[in-house]
Amino acid sequence: MSDAPDLPGVATPAAARRPGGTVSCATCRRGELRLVSLLAAVLAPPVHAQTNYEIQVYGADTVPPETLMVELHSNFTVDGQKYMEDGLYPTNHQEHETIELTEGLNDWSEVGFYIFTSEQDGHGVQWVGDHIRPRIRVPDSWGWPVGVSLSTEIGFQRSAYSTDTWTWEIRPIIDKSIGRWYFAINPALERTLHGPDVNQGLGFAPSAKIGYDFTKVVSGGVEWYADYGAIGNISPVHTQQQQVFVVADLNVSPLWEINLGVGIGATGATDHLIVKAILGRRFDWGRHTPVD
Amino acid sequence: MISRRDLLTGAGLVGIAAALPSESFRARAAPAADYVIDIAPVTLELSPTHRLKTVAYNGQVPGPLLRFKENQAVTIRVNNRTDRPEVVHWHGLFIPPDVDGATEEGTPPIAPNSSALYAFVPRPAGFRWYHTHTMAMNDFTRAQYGGQHGFLMIEPASNPAPYDQEVFLALHDWRGHLLASDDGAMNPAYAVATINARVLGSCEPLRVKQGQRILLHVLNSSPTEVHWIALAGHALQVVALDGNPVPNPRTVQMIRLAPAERVCVMVEMNNPGVWILGEVRKHVQALGMGMVVEYAGRDGAPQWDQPPELRWSYEQFAAAADPAAAAAPAHLIPLVIESRFRGHGSMEAWTINGRSYPDGGVTNLTQGARYRLQFINKSIDDHPLHLHRHSFELRRLGLTLDAGAAGPNGDIHGVVKDVVLVDAHTTAEVEFTANNPGATLFHCHQQNHMDLGFMMLFGYV
Repeated sequence: MSDAPDLPGVATPAAARRPGGTVSCATCRRGELRLVSLLAAVLAPPVHAQTNYEIQVYGADTVPPETLMVELHSNFTVDGQKYMEDGLYPTNHQEHETIELTEGLNDWSEVGFYIFTSEQDGHGVQWVGDHIRPRIRVPDSWGWPVGVSLSTEIGFQRSAYSTDTWTWEIRPIIDKSIGRWYFAINPALERTLHGPDVNQGLGFAPSAKIGYDFTKVVSGGVEWYADYGAIGNISPVHTQQQQVFVVADLNVSPLWEINLGVGIGATGATDHLIVKAILGRRFDWGRHTPVD
Repeated sequence: MISRRDLLTGAGLVGIAAALPSESFRARAAPAADYVIDIAPVTLELSPTHRLKTVAYNGQVPGPLLRFKENQAVTIRVNNRTDRPEVVHWHGLFIPPDVDGATEEGTPPIAPNSSALYAFVPRPAGFRWYHTHTMAMNDFTRAQYGGQHGFLMIEPASNPAPYDQEVFLALHDWRGHLLASDDGAMNPAYAVATINARVLGSCEPLRVKQGQRILLHVLNSSPTEVHWIALAGHALQVVALDGNPVPNPRTVQMIRLAPAERVCVMVEMNNPGVWILGEVRKHVQALGMGMVVEYAGRDGAPQWDQPPELRWSYEQFAAAADPAAAAAPAHLIPLVIESRFRGHGSMEAWTINGRSYPDGGVTNLTQGARYRLQFINKSIDDHPLHLHRHSFELRRLGLTLDAGAAGPNGDIHGVVKDVVLVDAHTTAEVEFTANNPGATLFHCHQQNHMDLGFMMLFGYV
């Protein structure tokens, strides 16, 4: 697998930036390589970057009001880039920890906040950046046959981790539960606000999930994350990001969210094997008497 | 026997057509009836901003108030002007199964665009009601979701209740949709809640005068929801439950009604002003469940006193212990209630003693015998349990799940009902006498639960 700079001046394909999540770019980069990277971007095919901070296909539901959802996303690259290449640190055995805090505003909206970190031998734990993510959804009372919500996310990541320091995403979310089956699709659009890709336009990064309830507690499924690059200038297949995860969701309590998965990359621009885990806990901080 | 599922899916209609006593509208010369009910589509205005298309009795929700004399024969012609089979259940009456209004018991369905004549002798006296007994499954516009219900008052030979004004109120929830719930399955949730099919502030107030005694007959016709009702500034004296006088009338701040339950309360109008009668829970009142009560000569914004907690029990209306009751133990019939997971995208299925209707067959009884139904609710839902064509007496409530071996100590007496709300993870016991032969349906009165198997049949001749 090749790895390449994701630095200012590097035309890192959108396909390499956001595996189904809200985190863009986020690769540790060195400023002294920027010129080299720029040349690489011009002369070479797009390359991939470290990406996996939040690997999750969103459902349409939002967190209830007066409720805080605290999630820890732990993603470990079991088999990734093993050697430094173009000044990039190898992704192999790299650990990303992301704290996600989501507060419900009312019955149809929420706002999420992310703290991204990366841990790697020789570098310790590093703060990568923060994002904020407001989200609205179609209220249940509208009686739509599918769940629909719209998420937008804007955030900053340190230039040492991402060439594009400010990014924005808009993510339509559609989901549907039918009996034991669950379907969700997130056709996300991404935009760089500050960084070398600022003129690249909108990128297309869809993700989807199919789940099946084996029991009331255990659900299994497949999640797919892709990034096709800029709309109107779709990346070649080998530089697209294509990841497939086999996942398990454990519905042990309404208060807890547990998602475990193992993913493989299907293109050269994607890490080969990643293990992910999401552990979430809901905290009701408001007054919730039966009368209220 | 034709199941309710057959009725609504259309399967079996060919087979039953010949057995229907109902008559096509084209075949006139139908015998005269004391009352006529037309079942037909209607556009209902819950408020100026809430209109919906549904099916109603005589074009109104609630349907017309029917007042029958106890033990005086009555005939009701029901015209089904819809494209689906219908059946009308006379809830709380001791009448034969062929007119009770449950196809499971043998009441013939009324085919689309046909009519049927219900003829029976209404008893016992009290506040009853009538409603459709069809299935809805996932269509939250049909059956009880659609508001097909009406008040039924069986007048006693003499009415001793000294009241100045009698008011009938029906609580209902509308525009249901499936919503994931904490129990891991889908359940109906609602966008609008009403009293007499009107949203709070959308109808004329209930006008009263100081010093009046108002008798409120409150029915919860909601397809699935329990409701809590209070009248701000006033206490409510509970005089009857499910239409049956309670031995110990008590004054309370609020009443609780499970689906299909009725509570009759006397209110002394002794606090002049403009008040709200409505749901105690804020979020439900906000959906519209309330009405204004206005004293003569008073105006201004209606006032609401928010109770800090929900408080209710059946036991408070019971009589003192009856030692004779323990001397003749009834035959115990344990009924274990459980749910069956069908996926997070579905409502749960339900079983009684491990079987969903109609797999359980018929449980045979002996006429004249006394039975104690022991409801062992192992689910995490509360269930409003209803026995057709009989009343039962509450005996024990809120026991632990393994309390079946306990003795009769602590039994309650004198509270006679036809619906009882059994709390989740508890056991409750009621007693009844098998004194009205024929097929007798027992079921949870939550529409989605009965649709998904929570029914069983008793039978005796």
